[in-house]
Amino acid sequence: MMKNSRQNASNRQENFGENSKKGQKEPEQVLGQNVPIGSADYLAPESLNKALEYRSRYGYKAVVIAGGTDIMVDYFEKLPEVTSWLDLTKISALKNIEITREEIIIGSLVTHLEIARNEELKKYLPLLAAASSEVGSWQIQSRGTIGGNIVTSSPAGDTLAPLLAYQARFVLASTEGEREVAAEEFFVGPKDNIMEPQELLTKIIIPHPPENTISRWWKVGKRKAMIISSLTMALLLEVNKNDRIQSARAAYGAVAPTPLRLESLEEYLTDKDLQEVELKKAGNLAEEAISPISDIRGTEEYRRQVTRDITIEALREMQQR
Amino acid sequence: MSEIKVEFTLNDNKESVVVPAEERLLDTLRERFDLTGTKEGCGVGECGACTVILDGEAVNSCLVPTAQVDGRQVRTVEGLAEGDELDPLQQSFIDHQAVQCGFCTPGMLMSARALLDKNTSPTEEEIKTALDGNLCRCTGYKQIVDAVEAAAKKEERE
Ligand code: FES
Ligand code: FES
Repeated sequence: MMKNSRQNASNRQENFGENSKKGQKEPEQVLGQNVPIGSADYLAPESLNKALEYRSRYGYKAVVIAGGTDIMVDYFEKLPEVTSWLDLTKISALKNIEITREEIIIGSLVTHLEIARNEELKKYLPLLAAASSEVGSWQIQSRGTIGGNIVTSSPAGDTLAPLLAYQARFVLASTEGEREVAAEEFFVGPKDNIMEPQELLTKIIIPHPPENTISRWWKVGKRKAMIISSLTMALLLEVNKNDRIQSARAAYGAVAPTPLRLESLEEYLTDKDLQEVELKKAGNLAEEAISPISDIRGTEEYRRQVTRDITIEALREMQQR
Repeated sequence: MSEIKVEFTLNDNKESVVVPAEERLLDTLRERFDLTGTKEGCGVGECGACTVILDGEAVNSCLVPTAQVDGRQVRTVEGLAEGDELDPLQQSFIDHQAVQCGFCTPGMLMSARALLDKNTSPTEEEIKTALDGNLCRCTGYKQIVDAVEAAAKKEERE
């Protein structure tokens, strides 16, 4: 065992040596500009501007790493093939949580554990706090970041349904400037999003939910601390004094190629008396609106059934609150 | 080839190593420092055998590039005992027969240590949550949870 791992370690280093030579040259030749190369293989800038400069210069050639909980798994057997890393963890400007009168602004490098433990976020954004507290295990939560979860764009990413339900906006920065993208427009397919190779996700902006908001979060998975959930749901209703639903947002994860909001269900719920919501009807709408796949975490049939059941259950709980 | 100099605190000692960019903390600890208490099970963040404490939080050292611990504090299972005196958690694991093959034990201890350093009187549920990311194939977990509970009580008394 010991011997083996020693071998692996040295193999890795040798392979890395070969690749890193290429890595040092290529960006120079292809994109050579005036960024000094200290260690071309491991870029760990402390300022965002520097990081953006590197990003515009290296693009996909440098693997961006924050908490590493996805990247180190994806690259488990190919670590030596990585020619350049762009490590964001020294950029303290990306680690802030700011709460203004209108908005909650979360830096992309804030960890799941920080969100789960933050009393203000628990109060203002209970769906996100709950989802963050159920990402993987403690070990994963202490390293994994909200920005990483978003950029990885797995349809099963735990924080994504809550972000959709809260109508979050993502700030994408590059040396050219910034743009803001609605969460709904960001995800385009499994592990795919609209980000450009020269961009970095810097902030997540969430408008304060109205005070009369009630919400439910649900995660279905096989092992509690398993990395990947087989289904997530974030349901958010704005209900007035007379129990009328003024607006509804129903977001689901791992039931389609991207996390998504179910418009038909939202439409059905909007402007209804909460007590008059027909649970079966709502369950059916949810079940019909998704397009799940069958994989090792569950069959299509199972996902439809569970979507229906948790939708009904969540609404029932809200009626009885 | 470009290597990175990393300076960090390891079990209260200042250390400095030069590593390739993609080297994992797990390998650095085992291969360069001979701290083989930290185990590799899955290598992908699911088993917790490689758990160490980084700046007060439990992390999977298989998912941490060593380059990222520059300027930070790392604690491994070897850093628990003080001289000949075992950490209360270690003693409690022995007393409660919470160790069988022992492969998961260092990771369990470090997850439990990270918990008790923050929360001196955890409930059973909190203990289970803290150990969620640690798999044991031998004990059935009951003894482990009992051991952590007992250690917490002992530490609180002291
Ligand atoms: S070896 Fe790191 S979690 Fe299994
Ligand atoms: S004691 Fe053997 S795996 Fe836990």
